[in-house]
Amino acid sequence: MQIVTKGVAGTMESSDIIVRIEPAEQKGIDLTLTSAVMQQFGKQIEKVIRDTLAELGVEDAIVNAVDKGALDCTVAARVKAAAYRAAKCEGNTAE
Amino acid sequence: MYNIQTGAPLSGVRLSEIKAFLLSRGLTMEGAADYYVALREDDGKIVATGCLDGRVLKYIAVDPSTEGTGAAATVVSELVSYAWQQGIGHLFLYTKPENDRMFRSLGFYPVAKTQDVLMMEDQKNGIAKFVDSIPKKENAGTVGACVMNCNPFTLGHRYLVETAAKRCDTLYLFVVSEDASAFPAAVRYALVEKGVADIPNVIVTKSRDYLVSRATFPTYFIKDRANTANVQTDLDIAIFTDRIAPALNITRRFVGTEPFCPVTNAYNERMKQLLPEKGIELIEIERKNGISASRVRRLMAAGDLAAVRELVPDATYEYIKDHIG
Repeated sequence: MQIVTKGVAGTMESSDIIVRIEPAEQKGIDLTLTSAVMQQFGKQIEKVIRDTLAELGVEDAIVNAVDKGALDCTVAARVKAAAYRAAKCEGNTAE
Repeated sequence: MYNIQTGAPLSGVRLSEIKAFLLSRGLTMEGAADYYVALREDDGKIVATGCLDGRVLKYIAVDPSTEGTGAAATVVSELVSYAWQQGIGHLFLYTKPENDRMFRSLGFYPVAKTQDVLMMEDQKNGIAKFVDSIPKKENAGTVGACVMNCNPFTLGHRYLVETAAKRCDTLYLFVVSEDASAFPAAVRYALVEKGVADIPNVIVTKSRDYLVSRATFPTYFIKDRANTANVQTDLDIAIFTDRIAPALNITRRFVGTEPFCPVTNAYNERMKQLLPEKGIELIEIERKNGISASRVRRLMAAGDLAAVRELVPDATYEYIKDHIG
C-alpha cells in the first residue's frame, strides 16, 4: 500500500489513540509515539503499529501516534483506518 | 459527556459566546480563526474552546470545573484531526509554561520559551531537524547571521549583506519562508541566491516555520501593532538565541537600521536588549540611501521601471521587468 497523502484516524480521548500518517521522503517507517502508558506498554503499542503497517504493505511512511491507553485492537483499527485514508482507498475493505 | 460544536468561520451569537467564555478564562480573542471547536453542556453552557488559525492552535481554554474530564484532549484532538484533513501537517501552539506537561501528553513538544510563553509543535525534534538541515561549514570561524524578508531583494539588502560578510568569516542569510508577501517565497529566495552568489562566505538558507513566520511572529505580518507584538518578539528571539544560534555557533546578528517600520524597529530594539545576554552581539548597519523594498514596490505599482532599475540588482530587475504589467 502506497501512502500518497495525509491520513488521520482516532481521537485523544481516554482509551483511544490518534494516528496520523503521511508520505515519507526517506525509506522506512518513521514513528513518533506519545503515550499515557509509555513506560508499561510503549514497546507493545509500537509493535502493534509496525505489525499492522507491515500487514497492509506500508513500507515508507511518517507516523505520529498519540495514545491514551488504547487496547491493541483499537490501535490496529486506528492504524488501518489512517493508512487507508492516506493511501486514498477509503472504500477499500480488503481483508 | 459534552456536545461538541465545530465550524468556520465564527460569527454572531456563537462568536460572542466564545469571546465571553475566553474572557472569563483571562484570554482576549484577537483576529479571526479558520476553524473553531466549542464543548457545551446539555444546557448550552460552554466548558471548553479551541481554534485553528493557519497552522497555529489558539484560544484553548477549559472551565476549571471540567478539569480531569479530558475536555482539553477532546478540543485538541478535534483541531488536530481537522488540520490534518486540510493537509496542514505541522502545528504550533502557545501556552503558559505550566501547561507543558498537559500538552506533551497530547503529542506536542517544546520549541522555545520565555518567562510568560511556551511555544510547542506537534513534531518531535521539529526544530532540531530544521537546524540539522542547515548547511554547516568546517572551520567556520566567526559566524554571523541576518534574517531578511527581501520583498524583493534590493541594493540596500545587498549592501547590508556585503558589509556584514566583511565583518565575519561565515554569514548565514536566513530568507523568511512565509508566503505572506508581495513576492512569493520561492522568488524572494531565488533572487537572494543570485544577488549574493559572488560573496563567497555567505550561506543562504530558508527560515522555514521558525524565524519570523506566521507561527512564531504573527504580528509581523499585521503591521500597525508594535505594542502587542512583545510576547511574540521575545519568543522569536528565544528561538534564535536558544535553538538556532548555539547549533551554528552564531555570535553576531546583523540588522539594518529601521526608520520606517515600527514593528521591525521594535524587534531590533528588543534584540539589542536580549541578544547580549546570550552572548550574541547585535550589529546595526546604516541603511544605504534609504533604499527599501517597500519603495521598490511603490515604484513598481506606479510603473516606474527606470527608478526601480536604480534600486535593485540585475537579477531582481530582470524578474520585475518580466513580471510587471
